[in-house]
Amino acid sequence: MASFFQLLVSGLATGAIYALIAVGFTLVWQTSQTINFAQGEFVMLPAFFILAAMNAGAPFWLACLIGIVLSVVILGLLFKFIIVDPMLKYGVLPLVISTIALSLFLKEGAKDFYSSQAQPFPSLVPATDFHVFGIVVSLQSLVVLAAATATVVALHVLLTKTRLGRSMQATAQNPTLARILGIDVNRMVLYTFLINGALVAIASILISPIYLAKFTNGETLGIAAFLAAIIGGFNQVRGAILGGVILGVLDNLSAAYISAQYRGAFPLIILIVVILFRPQGLLGRIEERTV
Amino acid sequence: MSRLGAVVVIAAAIFAVVLPFFLKPFGLYLISMWAVLTVAAIGLNLTLGYAGQVSLAQGAFVGIGAYTVGLLLPIGVPFPIAFVAAGLLCFVVGWILGYPALRVQHHYLAFVTLAFNTLVFLVLRNEEWLTGGTYGINGTPRPTLLGWSTNKPLDFYFLCLGAMVVLAAATWWMLRSPWGRAFVALRENPIRALSLGLDTRRYTLMAFAIGSSLGGLSGALYAPLVQFIEPNSFALGMSFNLLLMVIVGGGGYFFGPFLGALVAVLLPEWMRVTQDYYLMVYAALIMVMMAFCPSGLLGLVDRVGRRLRSGEQGPAAAAFEPQSTPP
Amino acid sequence: MSAVLEVSNLRKSFGGIAAVDGVSFDVREGEILGIIGPNGSGKSTLFNCVLGQLQPTEGEVRVDGRVTTGMRPCDLNRLGVSRTFQLLQVFPQLSVRDNLILAGQEHQGSMASRLFGRADAGLGDAADRMIAFFRLQHLASTQAGSLSYGQQKLLDAAMAFMAGPRLVLLDEPAGGVNLTMLGALRERLQAYHSERKATFVVIEHQMEFVMALCTRVLVLAEGRIIAEGDPQSVRSNPKVIEAYLGH
Repeated sequence: MASFFQLLVSGLATGAIYALIAVGFTLVWQTSQTINFAQGEFVMLPAFFILAAMNAGAPFWLACLIGIVLSVVILGLLFKFIIVDPMLKYGVLPLVISTIALSLFLKEGAKDFYSSQAQPFPSLVPATDFHVFGIVVSLQSLVVLAAATATVVALHVLLTKTRLGRSMQATAQNPTLARILGIDVNRMVLYTFLINGALVAIASILISPIYLAKFTNGETLGIAAFLAAIIGGFNQVRGAILGGVILGVLDNLSAAYISAQYRGAFPLIILIVVILFRPQGLLGRIEERTV
Repeated sequence: MSRLGAVVVIAAAIFAVVLPFFLKPFGLYLISMWAVLTVAAIGLNLTLGYAGQVSLAQGAFVGIGAYTVGLLLPIGVPFPIAFVAAGLLCFVVGWILGYPALRVQHHYLAFVTLAFNTLVFLVLRNEEWLTGGTYGINGTPRPTLLGWSTNKPLDFYFLCLGAMVVLAAATWWMLRSPWGRAFVALRENPIRALSLGLDTRRYTLMAFAIGSSLGGLSGALYAPLVQFIEPNSFALGMSFNLLLMVIVGGGGYFFGPFLGALVAVLLPEWMRVTQDYYLMVYAALIMVMMAFCPSGLLGLVDRVGRRLRSGEQGPAAAAFEPQSTPP
Repeated sequence: MSAVLEVSNLRKSFGGIAAVDGVSFDVREGEILGIIGPNGSGKSTLFNCVLGQLQPTEGEVRVDGRVTTGMRPCDLNRLGVSRTFQLLQVFPQLSVRDNLILAGQEHQGSMASRLFGRADAGLGDAADRMIAFFRLQHLASTQAGSLSYGQQKLLDAAMAFMAGPRLVLLDEPAGGVNLTMLGALRERLQAYHSERKATFVVIEHQMEFVMALCTRVLVLAEGRIIAEGDPQSVRSNPKVIEAYLGH
């Protein structure tokens, strides 16, 4: 039983990070119909910004700040203006291809300009374990869980409790109506890209000490983001959070109790089942359609 | 096809037959790879370009085909039978994978097929008793057909080229038959197609099954070509690559996959001068192309030709515009 | 005269609101029945239920006495029920001729014969005759997507007739068509009707068009039939006038 709780806690910690990634993915998808196949690479990259800043002599906290700013500018602003905007008019598929190419570009870029070897990444806290009722919990998991939860809660407050956040949600759900209501739709769409840039940077800071900074990190993380977003419900930020947590916990538990080799398979099977029988996701709404 | 187009195709055909006599083994390997991947890309072009069903799993079918041949040849099954078996198996699996497409479309379908690809990868990696796991299968022999040994690179190239030509011709036949018209109808307006008596379920499943089976046949040639298959070759990367081939060449154009596969196989080699950065350059070129000409190289040719002739507007990327919400 | 189409007590609700609320009518062989009514009166929903595009909540549809409720649109079409759509529904990247061949090809042979048989499914001549009938000869090999709106409407109608249907349901054929084209369309529909003894049901907004074309008219308001009769009597029916002018 003790090991069950250990797995649960570390699963929740990973799940919380997945949730961060999935929320950003969902926001961008909702406001601009962009299925970002490079989302995983977006999480991989900020760790390298930070390492580069530290190599240049910046202390860790400053490097993190620089990493987040760079991420917001490059993965938020530039991504929107250079990749997404020129291609929206062609529909979904060309943009999908383009983000696939972008993921290749970023991955190769990290490899060629930094290193093909996994890089150690500084942890936020020293490696300490807590022993509570016979359960061993690492301080790192707790900090990750707390930081990810705090970020998600802050985002949720922003989206639901502020005028700005409600405008963003309105834009996501019905851009035409939002425009009629006088919301500056273009600006709201831009904000979601910037928020995504910040979220992936935070996820990168949290996950890189565990996985090390490696150019291939994005492959699994990107798929985790899709899975979480779809399982939870493509059109719901809450759904993405739920999907991320379910995925993290399930991944850990199934690896321990069912089959470590097929670790990656269970979320995929759930994904297929969800898409076929509840395509709107666990928390999603059915979108009205007409003949 | 215009007269100019016919001239270009005939010239390319002559080139494909004469060129190999002047190539070294590595060059022969590359153009054999082109012929093999073209078959898989033709299959994906059928599913995606003509019938409009997004699939990110074509690489998995190449893998299933490659493993089928890689496993059957060592136990003494003759190559032609193993080849057909690979195609049939992928036809059946592709048919089953088509069922989700009856319920969901566009990005949802992309994710289902993506998940399927990863599941296939996991099976190939984990079922060591069958597939050899991460060690893969070594030394798949090149076949001897009616006394003709294809062991030498030049002979094997002609086997691949011959298979490609036969399969491409069969696809061409199908696309000009009423089926081809039905596939395009499925892409352009499934609701209207249904109201005209088209059994859209059956055609959707057929598009998946036939496209996948071409993927399997490509894999059946892939195994004896590279003579070492392992799960990583058939992970998502392969599917993405095939998707890029179809799109770069021009989705929904018959000759698109030929051109796309050529670019995908040769461009990295030509860009060796850029050393390690060639994949970055390749990726950047694709992004530029998507921004300026999402209908691919042949789409570009089409557009330029149209403008030269009459100044009328081409259909551009209309083929890939989603028609409505997923049915 | 026997009934080609019988609709009995058809009801369709969306989230508790009945868009079609217990509608019954027959369509007799050879007639042109018009169904009119203000926006939102349930005309299109009724059509979609009859044609299998929507599943009715309640009620029954029969074609030639055979129950067709719940049948897929493609099977219904192969029974000889064909339709046009309110919004343009041609296949823009196929030529006019291919659009027409497509409209007929599934009505004959098997999947295998369609794969191995002739490329035009033996329908080339029939398609050319239909093109000539709708006076689109000069456009036969043009991509349908580059036709004018009115020409696409003609093509849409031609596609509905291609398989020699027993019953054709036309959903707002006149919508968005300019006056010259409208005259041509009506004249061609009438010509086809008298030549082939076909049976039509027409949903329409445009009163003049309905009055000139139809032999009998049903008036729908808020999902129910409020009047029925020949065009003249319906036009002067006070209930109809009220429904159109508002409450």
